Amino acid sequence: MNHSSLRRLFLSLAAVFFMLSISGEATFADPPSTIATVQKVSGKAMVDRQGRTISAKIGLEIFQDDTLRTGPDGSIGVVFNDDTLLSLGPESILVIDEFVFAPRQGKFSIAIRMLKGTVAYLSGLISKLAPESAHIETPTSSIGIRGTKFVARVEGE
Amino acid sequence: MRQWRKVLFVWIVLCLLSGCGAHRAKRDLIVLLPDRDGKGGVITVTTEGGSQILDKPGYAIEIEDLNKPPIVPQPIEEKEITDVFGSALSMLPDPASRFILIILYFERDTTKLTRESKDLLAEILRTIKSRRSKEVYVVGHTDLVGKEAYNTGLSSRRANYVRNLLVSSGIKPSTLVVSFYGKARPLVPTQDEVPEPRNRRVEVIVR
Repeated sequence: MNHSSLRRLFLSLAAVFFMLSISGEATFADPPSTIATVQKVSGKAMVDRQGRTISAKIGLEIFQDDTLRTGPDGSIGVVFNDDTLLSLGPESILVIDEFVFAPRQGKFSIAIRMLKGTVAYLSGLISKLAPESAHIETPTSSIGIRGTKFVARVEGE
Repeated sequence: MRQWRKVLFVWIVLCLLSGCGAHRAKRDLIVLLPDRDGKGGVITVTTEGGSQILDKPGYAIEIEDLNKPPIVPQPIEEKEITDVFGSALSMLPDPASRFILIILYFERDTTKLTRESKDLLAEILRTIKSRRSKEVYVVGHTDLVGKEAYNTGLSSRRANYVRNLLVSSGIKPSTLVVSFYGKARPLVPTQDEVPEPRNRRVEVIVR
């Protein structure tokens, strides 16, 4: 390896580290902020957060990356910051991968994975202000939502 | 040839793992319901095999398999909705606390409100004050006549016109969030270049 190729290698490594440090900052700089609140609970309903399981109660705050789960007799209803309403019937699992509601910055996004069970959904302000930005993924399909109320059953694996 | 054999082997293993060909008793099901204002929205359901649009409330899409396109929307009985989704639907939080939407309409190619819409301004002000709202969205739109760039400008002028009216009526500027979309988001979908009064609008959303 000659001098100039070593230098190129060093420069590209430096670039990679620089990128990593930027993206790291974007991910970790802000403390997690509430994106939704539990409004109704019946039977057994849980929230999985960073490896811990929290029993869901009315008023519990929900964060990005949380997983909502219900038992055989459980159901749960939550209200998101943009007034999107979402509820799960028994034996359901749903992951909130992303929820962004920042109207003043013009940033909107809902990305939810419905892995199993039944869900009811009534869209909120995000669907009024940026209709293309709400999606639910299921094991078989991707559901694009433009301002509406719907229900879905997912059989899961 | 050996490579083909490898591909076949992997395919068979994947089939065994995922239960290829095994019939499932139930299928994934997606049902569009009427909104509170009676209007249904639009859902697009996409699998590896294709895509279907669901835009009639009371209709349902079934999915057999992720590799097949979703089944064409069919009407579904009220009873089946209640049987399958009753539990989830009963837990949907109360929509009472949600936003109020008021739509103002404009004369063609202007920032001049129609007469009926002028009368709505008082209602908007009442709504903002009675809710003590700190978040009011003002969203401008046009119909599909004309070029995109021109309509983006027109929708911006319409939204800012309404914003300024509200500010001069005593609403704090920090309360108001303005956005505009030109011809991209018609309320009533039409062909391009079709004049449509219901698309020349500013939506005021009071939280």
